[in-house]
Amino acid sequence: MNLPIETVDLGKRYGKVIAVKHLSLRVAEGEIYAFLGLNGAGKTTTIRMLLGMIKPTWGSAQVLNTRIRPGSREPWASVGYLVETPHSYPELTVFENLEVARRLHPGTAPEAVGRIIERMGLSAYADRRAGTLSLGNAQRLGLAKALLHTPRLLFLDEPANGLDPAGIVEIRELLLELTREQGVTVFLASHILAEVSRLAQRIGIIHQGHLLQEMDVDELERNRRRRLLLRARDLEAARLALATAGYPAEMLRDGTLELTDLRSLEHPDDIASLLVQVGVPPMQVLVEEEDLEQYFLRLVGMNGGQNHA
Amino acid sequence: MHDLTNAVWIELRKATRSRMPLFTALGFLVLPCGLAFFMFIYKYPTFARNIGLISAKANLVGGAATWPYYLGVLGQAIAIGGIAVFSLVESWVFGREFVDGTLKDLLAVPVARANILLAKFLVVALWSLLLTVMLFLVSLLFGAVIGLSQGTAEVFWQGTATLAVVACLTIVNVFPFAFFASLGRGYLLPMGVTLLVIVIANFIVVAGWGNYFPWAVPALYTQAGGKGNLEAASYLLVLFTGLAGLTGTYFWWRFADQNR
Repeated sequence: MNLPIETVDLGKRYGKVIAVKHLSLRVAEGEIYAFLGLNGAGKTTTIRMLLGMIKPTWGSAQVLNTRIRPGSREPWASVGYLVETPHSYPELTVFENLEVARRLHPGTAPEAVGRIIERMGLSAYADRRAGTLSLGNAQRLGLAKALLHTPRLLFLDEPANGLDPAGIVEIRELLLELTREQGVTVFLASHILAEVSRLAQRIGIIHQGHLLQEMDVDELERNRRRRLLLRARDLEAARLALATAGYPAEMLRDGTLELTDLRSLEHPDDIASLLVQVGVPPMQVLVEEEDLEQYFLRLVGMNGGQNHA
Repeated sequence: MHDLTNAVWIELRKATRSRMPLFTALGFLVLPCGLAFFMFIYKYPTFARNIGLISAKANLVGGAATWPYYLGVLGQAIAIGGIAVFSLVESWVFGREFVDGTLKDLLAVPVARANILLAKFLVVALWSLLLTVMLFLVSLLFGAVIGLSQGTAEVFWQGTATLAVVACLTIVNVFPFAFFASLGRGYLLPMGVTLLVIVIANFIVVAGWGNYFPWAVPALYTQAGGKGNLEAASYLLVLFTGLAGLTGTYFWWRFADQNR
């Protein structure tokens, strides 16, 4: 299998601080791989190591079958990137900034600048100085620079930053189109699980420099915790009746019973019938699925608002 | 070569689109204006006193309203002022990539970092030379308007050659400030080092060791109408300083972690 990105035991230490440790990644061609983590988790350090901007303390990285060494000219002709906040030369216009980017990628046709301006919706701003752009348009310019030379591999660090909802959808569709129609591989770093889950095929979760988990998006759906929440006038009686019938229930602080066994989750109607039969009719029966953010926070050990008694 | 041409185009575009050429030109023009002021006073001391340009206590001994004296002082001014202005240019060309956060866009590209750096140094050299030419032409104009004496062809040729050598030595001398701009990731460190170098150069010249301090060499060169008391080692030291600046900057860009 062709692997545009492969790292072996990659790590980076700054003095006593370990930013990234034992990172072994394999990203397949044409895949959108989301690299998910909180701020400071090590996402940007990893991207900078993959781009040869930072020397790894341990391990090695290969990008497009080229071993990455600082200062090397390879394989950047086929790589586009947007790292952290997009910056451009403020005194140059949008067009001139893209012309600078084009000249840094020899072989890119002059017409590419006009094409990418149009594609990124920057036509109205082409002659405007980059220093006067809004955050959203600065982000579009950053993405335009990354895409200008039609790269085979894209590194995007928080690409949705500063974009309005319409812009986020637009960029999402653009990235999906690039992967489907041109086989571009995308390595996407983000801290927003809900956003990347709509886009990525695979997700790697990094926390405090460690890769906690790698999974397909389908697996992510399966791993998300579900629970049945139940309210009744006499909660203790309801809990006893359910326990007797073999449904373990836990009392939550907010006066709700929580059931997490598969039988309850798949047949909430049976629970309701049972409680009616024993004279404790339910006031509310709700099957709730853990949202992506709660799942993410649970995984990184920052339990997002679980309120067990 | 094509990569270098592209890199030079990029650096020129960045420079010409900014206000820095205007600011450095205005800054550098202070020198001929100040010199012309003194030449005017030397030429017309009584008139200058009568209209209040100078007080009765002004000491006008040592100067003369002549072309040789004027061009000699101009050379000294370029040797000292040039360190400040050329290093400002260098600090901006290199330091701005860190200050504006644009450095990362220059790193993972299929153009060798050596070409990108060489283009920056070439633009700094060109910019500094143009500033010197502008200063020289303005100074000639001021000198002609004031009506300085002893303006023979030989004086002009020798003055021009001295100024050209002084400018080149000064340009080479400021190459290390690119390293300090990179190390300090901005403008403050190179400008601080520039100030320090100018102060130290003055002390070292007074102590008589100026021949061996590269940043004092251009000023010493202007003494005695060019060459001064310099020896081959002085020029080699300047050359070594310039090369140290080029290689130090290259190795820093090549091997240091770039987090901005």
